[in-house]
Amino acid sequence: MLIQIILVSIMALAFIMTWRRFRQRVIPLSEALLWSLLWIVATGIVIAPQISTRIAHFVGVGRGADLVVYAAVPMLFFLVFKLFIKHEELERKLTEIVRHDALRDLDKN
Amino acid sequence: MKIVAVLPAFREETRIGDAIRGVLPLVDAIVVVDDGSGDGTAERAEEAGAVVLRHRLNRGQGAALRTGTEAALRLGADIVLHVDADGQHDPASIPVVLEPLRSGTADVVFGSRFLGQEATNMPTSRRILLAAARTFNAFAVGVPRRVTDPQSGFRALTAQAARTVDFRQDRFAHCSEILRLVTRSNLRWMEVPVTIRYSEESLRKGQKPWDAAHIAWQLLLGMFVR
Repeated sequence: MLIQIILVSIMALAFIMTWRRFRQRVIPLSEALLWSLLWIVATGIVIAPQISTRIAHFVGVGRGADLVVYAAVPMLFFLVFKLFIKHEELERKLTEIVRHDALRDLDKN
Repeated sequence: MKIVAVLPAFREETRIGDAIRGVLPLVDAIVVVDDGSGDGTAERAEEAGAVVLRHRLNRGQGAALRTGTEAALRLGADIVLHVDADGQHDPASIPVVLEPLRSGTADVVFGSRFLGQEATNMPTSRRILLAAARTFNAFAVGVPRRVTDPQSGFRALTAQAARTVDFRQDRFAHCSEILRLVTRSNLRWMEVPVTIRYSEESLRKGQKPWDAAHIAWQLLLGMFVR
């Protein structure tokens, strides 16, 4: 099916990019392995959707597609929360700079 | 004992002058932190006799307070006094807040609106909100129940305490954060009754019920930041 060809191509591309970034020392080995695992599992599910159905049945969910959605929600929640924390850290660093700048005026006086 | 008052100010050009003139006779120096107001706040404060620091960008009340506290310590303060810049905190209460520090019976003193001194014009909605905040502080933040005023910005610390209390919340969550840090430390703390004067203008600019949710969220995030 066309959708399978498109998705597998994307996964393959993502897999290649992951290891290219590893070679460029952008991401550590542990992260490269984690992403690779994700792409391989996703490719497996795309090629043989019945795998996800079997896992879904195992955990008590009706359809494999539903399981994928259920799993995606907490993952996205986690990623968004991580972004919020990163944002707050940046805000605090900005405050540090502004504070440093303000206190320099005190030393001048 | 050198007492330095810290007034974080954001767009207070109409009220900062009076606030400073009210506080100045009772302290040795005043540090005003103009939190990126972009109006005449800094000029009015300088005219009134305060040492003025400027945040180039608006970073929030907590951030300005922290900057001012560090400035006060550099100026050689023995006692750092936190006061609002909008004149809500009645200067007549300042000696009451300072007394336990002067006599050495406490390291940190919090001014409370709920210890007998009746606040003028406190709206019922504010009263309910503060009661809810107190419960939230107790369960979610871990601030003892015997703290009567969960959002008091009227407080004084010894220089030693001011160096110890490492508050990092930039916006309004610093009140709860300071309470948590102080009540969990070895510092001796107490609450004293103070008078808060609510005016229509200060209420308009003050915190809205929605901000309570925001504060809760900030405190949650703060738990995960580095």
